[in-house]
Amino acid sequence: MVRFKSRYLLCEVCVPERNSLQLLDERAIHHTLRAAVNRAHGDYGSALFNIGVNVKYLNALTGVVFIRCRKAHYRLIWSALPFITHLENRGQPQNVQCFFNCIHVGGTIKTSQKFLAQYNRQQLHRMLLDCNTDAEKQHVRRAILSCSLGNVKGEEAEDEEGSEDDDE
Amino acid sequence: MEEPTTFERHVYKNASVYHYMKISLDLENGKRSFSDAQFKQLIISALKELYGEVGAAFPFDLLKFDPSSLKAILRVYNKGLVKLWSALTLLGSYQNEACAFRVIQVSPFLLALSGNSRELQLGESLTS
Repeated sequence: MVRFKSRYLLCEVCVPERNSLQLLDERAIHHTLRAAVNRAHGDYGSALFNIGVNVKYLNALTGVVFIRCRKAHYRLIWSALPFITHLENRGQPQNVQCFFNCIHVGGTIKTSQKFLAQYNRQQLHRMLLDCNTDAEKQHVRRAILSCSLGNVKGEEAEDEEGSEDDDE
Repeated sequence: MEEPTTFERHVYKNASVYHYMKISLDLENGKRSFSDAQFKQLIISALKELYGEVGAAFPFDLLKFDPSSLKAILRVYNKGLVKLWSALTLLGSYQNEACAFRVIQVSPFLLALSGNSRELQLGESLTS
């Protein structure tokens, strides 16, 4: 049985101001990534990039990028990610400073999606600790409740409600 | 009664950490004066073009350089032999002049590079 295997790199783009994130699209990321791989790995890297890499998904609100690579060369592409310092923006002349943070490598889209849901839930918990005003806290708590009740009914929901009661 | 002589045979799978290459540079427009630093810079630029910054950072040494015949001996780690050889093969031009690297000998042992049966010249006494 010969199965075509690929690796999905789940990365997060961290920018200093959140508004500049909204202007990104997949082509800009693809272009920047290709330039970085060309600089780091030369003609060989460019060739590998051309045959096997595409940017599957980009979430402009949270800055999550989903890149697909071939299994044989994904480490080469991965190693070029830390060298990206800014993203080119065709709309405005100035570049957006950023860095790529790879949070997960998966073999299928489904596992990466499961991990992403769990990661976002952890981020919500962290945001709850960072909240300053009460209104923000209520907002984040409602978001946590909504995502946890939706997935697992029973123990997890009771745990969430129990901890909420303890806080208040 | 003598004991029969025992003999041991050592089999090395990976004999040496380095590989040594004997190469020469052919220029289209005849000879040019090269210093050894320029020669090494040329090889590094070939590596950089094909394999990028990561490839150009791979350590190799220029052990001997002969400026008159443009022959040199390089030493590289086993992991980098394929990269170095392919980069040397694909180098086409130097300062807009066509040039080519010819690889004469490759061996994991430096002593093997001292004798080359291709360049062996039989003395006249043998041919008679």
